[in-house]
Amino acid sequence: MKKRKGARIVVVTMTIFIVVAGLYGFGSKLEEFVRAMSDENRAPGGEFVFIPVLNYFLASIGFVFLFIWAALNGMFRDIEKPKYDMLERERRLDAEAGAPWE
Amino acid sequence: MTTIAAGPPRVAGLDRAESLPLVNERVVLCYFVASFTFFIIALLAGLAYSLTFLQSYPFAGIEWLSPGRVRMLHTNGLAYGFIANAFLGGLHWAVPRLTLRSVLSDKLSWLIFVVWQLIVLSTAVGLLAGEAQAVEWGETPVWIDPVAVLGLLLVGANMLTPVIRFKGPMYVSLWYFIAALVWTALTYTMGNFFPQYWIGGTASGAIIGLFIHDLVGLFVTPIGWGLMYYFVPIILKKPIWSHGLSLVGFWGLAFFYPLNGIHHFLYTPIPMFLQHGAILATIAVELVVTTVIVNFFATLRGSGDALRTNLPIRWFYVGMVFYFTTCLQCAFQVTLTFQRIIHFSDWVVGHAHLVMFGVFGFWILGMMTYLFPRLVGASGWYSAKLNSWHFWLSAIGMLVMVLDLTMAGLVQGFAWDALMIWEETLRASTPFWLVRTYAGGAMILAQFLFLYNMVKTASMGRNGAAVSGGIVSGGKIDV
Repeated sequence: MKKRKGARIVVVTMTIFIVVAGLYGFGSKLEEFVRAMSDENRAPGGEFVFIPVLNYFLASIGFVFLFIWAALNGMFRDIEKPKYDMLERERRLDAEAGAPWE
Repeated sequence: MTTIAAGPPRVAGLDRAESLPLVNERVVLCYFVASFTFFIIALLAGLAYSLTFLQSYPFAGIEWLSPGRVRMLHTNGLAYGFIANAFLGGLHWAVPRLTLRSVLSDKLSWLIFVVWQLIVLSTAVGLLAGEAQAVEWGETPVWIDPVAVLGLLLVGANMLTPVIRFKGPMYVSLWYFIAALVWTALTYTMGNFFPQYWIGGTASGAIIGLFIHDLVGLFVTPIGWGLMYYFVPIILKKPIWSHGLSLVGFWGLAFFYPLNGIHHFLYTPIPMFLQHGAILATIAVELVVTTVIVNFFATLRGSGDALRTNLPIRWFYVGMVFYFTTCLQCAFQVTLTFQRIIHFSDWVVGHAHLVMFGVFGFWILGMMTYLFPRLVGASGWYSAKLNSWHFWLSAIGMLVMVLDLTMAGLVQGFAWDALMIWEETLRASTPFWLVRTYAGGAMILAQFLFLYNMVKTASMGRNGAAVSGGIVSGGKIDV
């Protein structure tokens, strides 16, 4: 019981530490981004400020949707099952092919 | 060919009832042969280029074989000839077996194979003719780019069809393959078209930075890990330690990797928020990588003897150790403090070799060691001893090269930082460059031994001869 309480304290402390550090990092990057975008002296066009970020969001947004789709379709319901199914399929394929290494 | 027998489905969850070849093994074999051919050519180009640093370049005075062009032949040959071909072969083997559905079309597979070889050959000719595009790792001449994108889209259609038709929760390898097939076409388009036609100056530098690293992280890495998650369990005959953890690794890669590339251009006019963002994302990726490594080594627990008795497993796990090393290196070297010293030095060259040869090269060679006898119809390798020599020469050569170039990078970096006279720094670098050439020579010799072994094994396969000292022993491959 004591051990579990100790583990919980570690997890909560680590979570707070990571979230606070992450929020600070993200916040300061966002602030720099806004400043760079609104800087009147930036290079003409200014695409280079925006395009890499846009590229990241385009790549990530697809994966956000894929993640949501996967969760809704039960891909993570029995999360360990695919590893056993895969080995079973492989075993049967090798057996059917009469593989000498079987 | 591996087939599923006629009649009702034999595997739970299968609706496949026809007797059709599941894996076109000839396509896989052809990809491996093409891959190894380009591998040898690219390695020889690298060896020739390394001689430039020793004032002994063999093609001095021949414009189309000038060192700059031969260097691009080395890098592009490895990326698109060796790695891409081997991965396409690996996908043609693994995807149908993971989904129990064959690829969209056999004819399309052959068409892609032929077109891809033409693309790689045209790239080589274009580079030697001096038509390189000014994009690092994207030097393919501009007239090839549209064909390459079309080829990548066809690969996606061919490979994703069985994955989409697959019902039920997917194994982690398939997640990685989906991501790679989608990302590669997008990455290639971004890196080869945006800087060429629409964005110039520093802006194109930012895009090229993304392209260079995304090519490694969003094309090579997901296919490489996808294949490892497939081959390691089937060879060890035990499931991966935690499928849940493997998915953490996959989704971590998906969300942390795409912004990494700008760490190639630290201390440039690219806005600092992008440079800092890339540094943070790179360090975050190291944490993701750790989950993957923990998973694979936990899988090996209780089967550690396989590292000694099973050569493909040894290739895979040594590659994983190199992978962890290179990512750990990455987490440090992307910081501004490290960059101040190592930028433009041979440290970076050592890092690149560790990634391309030490990691993905090792995984590919392990995959070939495992599959080649099966593909040529032999019951094992012609010589286990040659295979062993192949491994040790490659591994020792790689290790020596990386240590040597890392030390060279530190010497150069600190010398430049101390404003030492340029010629003096060249003199200090020469012994390191000599060792690098010898290490490369050992690695190339290893590949020729493997080539000889492959030829003899293939001829035995054709003759249906039995193999002395064969690879089969209690489900494991003797080395």
